[in-house]
Amino acid sequence: MDSDRRRDSRSWDWDSPQCRAQLDEVFFRRHDYIQAGSPEHREFWSFFDRFQRFKTKRDVSGSGAKEDREDGKKTGTGKVDLGLPKEYDARYRINVSVCTRDVEERLGKSEHRGRQRSSGPGSEEISDCRLALLHFLDFSQRQSFGKLAKLRREQKTLPIFQYRDRIVELVRLHPVVVVAGDTGCGKSTQVPQYLLSAGFNHIACTQPRRIACISLAKRVSFESLNQYGSKVGYQIRFETTRTPATKLLFLTEGLLLRQIQQDRTLSQYQVLIVDEVHERHLHCDFLLGVLRSLLSDHPDLRLILMSATINIKLFSDYFGGAPVLQVPGRLFPIQVIYQPIPTEEQPSRSEKLDPRPYLRILQGIDQRYPPEERGDLLLFLSGVAEISTIQEACQVYATHTRRWIVLPLHSTLSLAQQDKVFDISPPAVRKCIISTNIAETSVTIDGVRFVVDSGKVKEMSFDPKAKMQRLQEFWISRASSEQRKGRAGRTGPGVCYRLYAESDYDAFAPYPVPEIHRVALDSLILQMKSMSLGDPLSFVFIDPPPAASIQTAVTYLKQQGALDSRGELTSIGSLLAQLPVDVVIGKMLVLGSLFHLVDPVLTVAAALSVQSPFLRSSQHNPDCATARQPLQSNHGDPFTLLNTFNAWVEVKGERGGGSRKWCRRRGLEEQRLYEMVNLRRQFKELLRSHGLLESESSTPSGGDRGQRRERLKERRKLYQMKRDHEQQESSRRKVLRMDEGHDGEFSSGSDTEAAGKGKKDKGGSGQNLDIQEVKFKLRHNVSELQEAASVSQDMSSRQQALLKLLLCRGLYPQLALPDEHNSTRKDSDQVFHTRNKQGVVIHPTSVFASDPEVLQVPEDDTREIGPDRRDSSRHQLLAFVTLLETNKPYLSNCVRVPALQALLLVANSVDSNADCTRLVVDGWLELELREPEEALKVLSTALTLRSEWERLLLAQLGQSTMGGPAVQGVSRKVMEKLSEGLVRFLLYNEVTYSLRRLTAFQTQNLYIGPQSQSDLPDTKAPDVNPLFPGVEAKPDPIKGGLRVASFFNYNSLADSKDLYSECLRTFWSCPNCDLYMPLTPLERMQHEASCRPAAEQQQPEEEPEGGKAGSSSVSSLTRVYHCDVCDEDLTLTSTEILKHKRNHMYSAK
Amino acid sequence: MEQTTSLTPQKTFTCQLCDLSSPFTYYGQKPPNTRAIVLLEECFVTQDPFSPDKEKFLVLGSTCSLCSTCVCVGPDCSLFYTKRFCMQCVNKHLKQFPLQIQAELAKKKPSSKSAAS
Ligand SMILES: [Zn+2]
Ligand SMILES: [Zn+2]
Repeated sequence: MDSDRRRDSRSWDWDSPQCRAQLDEVFFRRHDYIQAGSPEHREFWSFFDRFQRFKTKRDVSGSGAKEDREDGKKTGTGKVDLGLPKEYDARYRINVSVCTRDVEERLGKSEHRGRQRSSGPGSEEISDCRLALLHFLDFSQRQSFGKLAKLRREQKTLPIFQYRDRIVELVRLHPVVVVAGDTGCGKSTQVPQYLLSAGFNHIACTQPRRIACISLAKRVSFESLNQYGSKVGYQIRFETTRTPATKLLFLTEGLLLRQIQQDRTLSQYQVLIVDEVHERHLHCDFLLGVLRSLLSDHPDLRLILMSATINIKLFSDYFGGAPVLQVPGRLFPIQVIYQPIPTEEQPSRSEKLDPRPYLRILQGIDQRYPPEERGDLLLFLSGVAEISTIQEACQVYATHTRRWIVLPLHSTLSLAQQDKVFDISPPAVRKCIISTNIAETSVTIDGVRFVVDSGKVKEMSFDPKAKMQRLQEFWISRASSEQRKGRAGRTGPGVCYRLYAESDYDAFAPYPVPEIHRVALDSLILQMKSMSLGDPLSFVFIDPPPAASIQTAVTYLKQQGALDSRGELTSIGSLLAQLPVDVVIGKMLVLGSLFHLVDPVLTVAAALSVQSPFLRSSQHNPDCATARQPLQSNHGDPFTLLNTFNAWVEVKGERGGGSRKWCRRRGLEEQRLYEMVNLRRQFKELLRSHGLLESESSTPSGGDRGQRRERLKERRKLYQMKRDHEQQESSRRKVLRMDEGHDGEFSSGSDTEAAGKGKKDKGGSGQNLDIQEVKFKLRHNVSELQEAASVSQDMSSRQQALLKLLLCRGLYPQLALPDEHNSTRKDSDQVFHTRNKQGVVIHPTSVFASDPEVLQVPEDDTREIGPDRRDSSRHQLLAFVTLLETNKPYLSNCVRVPALQALLLVANSVDSNADCTRLVVDGWLELELREPEEALKVLSTALTLRSEWERLLLAQLGQSTMGGPAVQGVSRKVMEKLSEGLVRFLLYNEVTYSLRRLTAFQTQNLYIGPQSQSDLPDTKAPDVNPLFPGVEAKPDPIKGGLRVASFFNYNSLADSKDLYSECLRTFWSCPNCDLYMPLTPLERMQHEASCRPAAEQQQPEEEPEGGKAGSSSVSSLTRVYHCDVCDEDLTLTSTEILKHKRNHMYSAK
Repeated sequence: MEQTTSLTPQKTFTCQLCDLSSPFTYYGQKPPNTRAIVLLEECFVTQDPFSPDKEKFLVLGSTCSLCSTCVCVGPDCSLFYTKRFCMQCVNKHLKQFPLQIQAELAKKKPSSKSAAS
């Protein structure tokens, strides 16, 4: 201060921070409207600079403001004198004043006291600053009001605006209302707002897509002037912005269904809006069905269906003739040009598309429309392969003419790549966006003037017979065709080129096939069962799926163990119904929790539920392939995914934001990994809430106070970054570079990274901020994840074997057998067979496509027995996640498992011959074991392991459904013993056998068929089944033989010998007790199942009695046996019964 | 702030010229939390919805000092020059306004017409 003393007011320096700080003391104090240090404060000073410059310029040019003509006098008409000041001053136009007299007075006093003029601002400076402040306030008022006015203007011009009152009135009067309007009419954004301002309060609006929930919530909260509040929110799988103040919630259809599942009263909502019902998604159709059945119980609930103007009557009729309000869309006129592809340019099947028809359209546009006239082109093709063919050709043309930027758009592209279609092309250059039907409804791109419609779509269909999904090319429907056309008229008049004849168009189906007719209904049926909606066959769907499709799903769910034989939910089934995942994935989770393999199983389950993080486009990039190499596991794709996730978590922990680059190097879409980590967490919470996982004992919320404070500070900072990011997100679009189309993701990607590194950005520009990283840090505890990752990274081969078994049990019956001639085929020609579909191949993205040798039986291990019989102990099967037919039927996400062991442990149906050397699994796989002795041993072990596994699983599930989350159903010790047994069985089994698929002819006479009582000499003997207490071993009524366990039929194969024929008896000594006698295979298995080594006998008693399931301990091994000879009831173990009977036999002889 | 009950209908400001309407939270010359700031007319005020800061206000409109018409502050509906005038009154008494304003309005007219049609 002292050094400044001598300055007088004339040396006042507006640029000096000290001087400005002094004015801050006057105008921007701590409690003032604008406070020093706030964003507005910064804005003020930059406004101030502009304002000063403007003032100087005006003074210099000496604008005529001063020579104001005395207009006041000329109001000769003498009506009213407005009393306006004579001289114009812009300040009079501002309706705000700022009073700072108190401060000025204080300053004034200090001025008097000091002899010299103080260094502070003089009155001139203060009034300059005040004037600037007034103008600044006025400026910001104008700005905000301008936004508001623009908003209101836009709302008014929407076609739906005129129907505002009518809509509210209809909703007041009718429980169900259908609002039909085409693209651009504004229904999705406006209808919820009309209802809100009419006083409706708890409104939910469903959307088929998550992304729409987010963007609608954002838009509507802005439009309803609540962008910084939470009146409008969204809720999707991993994210919600919902608070108690939320009145309007956008959520996905699936999520609303889950909410209904938990609370059928729907008490939390007053109004439900189901948007885009015409898209006919599976969830949406189902949701409508559920709501229809619930409505009568909730007379106050209001339901609004919103649809495009497609098939409106269907929806109205379904809800008893609900009133329909039809709103015209806002489309500019579109010229339709039919340009069928000439025959010589039509591709034959299996041939690439001919690009000529497409190029001609580009040329035509170039000739007809001057480049200054803006307007982009959107081209619809059926699939990714088609897109890359046409893209290539168009790119050549674009490079030559420099008038086009060619951009692909489909869902397997990275998000960054997808996002490019929204960027702006340089002047006189058009975007040519080549897209799948994703741009038909899901993605809306503004500025499209030309649409090219190939008329084709690839759609998933489900083949219930082969239990296979199929991706096939179809002609689109007229509705889709119109939808595609409409994309050309959103921002101005447009042109639509249809590459088919008008007669083709007329022959198209009116609407697309609803999803419910095209997909597997497993999850739907399971959910219906858990919502107790009765028989799925009689449920009133808007458009019922084929009965066969429902039947297939029911059968499948029974195979999976989710439904019992009567079609009721099992305990595992009711748990699976609550997990928002595929049944197979849900099963893995449950099994994983039982075996204390939770961490890897959570990761694998999450990985298999999201799109693959491996980008297809980088598959042929050698650098990526090299970098990916260490992540690959030849045990199977789930293991590769597991490795990838773990390695990523490792990188996250060490380098945080560096993971982006790490992913790019390996051709990984990081977004998928973020989805995985979120899903993984959700799974974990689900398991915990179902008591299948111990609640975290040592949550890392501990630490000393200092650490906690640090963490809190860090979190606050992250939240701030997230908020800042959200505010800027609506950021301006980038301008595309001319070479945008043809350089790959990698070159351009690493460029931006290198550029970004230089400047350290202060969270301001947002360009460089990795928002995903911020969200990740907010949501997850990295060190905890790292711990989990290192656990599954250091998996022993034993754990690995066990994990494989769990995956296999989860995936069963999705198994495939390598063709016997694979070893003589090329790598690319390896063929596999599933039970229902022969000749499938492995998807090129699978590890087994590049390394098929690991699936083949090692040469030195085989023994050629006959012409087509190869014995080995190393046969393997593939368990797979999906079977999808595109141009070929492909298996993807495969795991290899040891055949015999896996089948015996997971298959639903195993049949044997009399000495158990021949086994048939599920009626299609035949295993022949060489040594009867070995065969018996292996079968007997499997039976024991399975019964124990089943018992523990039920105990675990039983506990979890009844008890609180803390109860741990099965003791660790018992569990470990089972794991040990399973691992030993999987890894150390040297039994040699042959494995093949039965021919159709062989399956015809497979079983001996039902036998009359007299044929079975000694049926009474094994009347109670010691292996599965409660399940009686009785003759199988269809196949014949003896049903020993729920999955095992003894001696039912047609080549069988008599059940107890003496020749099958061999002398055998039990390793556990002193028994030594000739026994039939069945007797021996029974003995083995009940006879435990002495050391183990006590163990079962330690374990807590877990309900009924516990009753299979020692005491249950004895049972009441009625001996016909003695005519007496005896309490004996099965071995003792055998001994007893034997006594009679010998004495009889 | 957010927990407004649905029973008390929001007070709504509506411009009698352009029909713009929006809820307001305060009417007067001294909106809450404005400290040194005073309005020079009685205004319909709401919280600025475009500012993350809840304390920022936004003036929606006021009444014409001559004819008492309720008008928004939009340049097509009203003008403030020491007092609020609705556009109808401004046009009626155009001559009394300084030349700057007359020139400005003359310039704006044709463009605003075309935008409206
Ligand atoms: Zn107005
Ligand atoms: Zn007036």
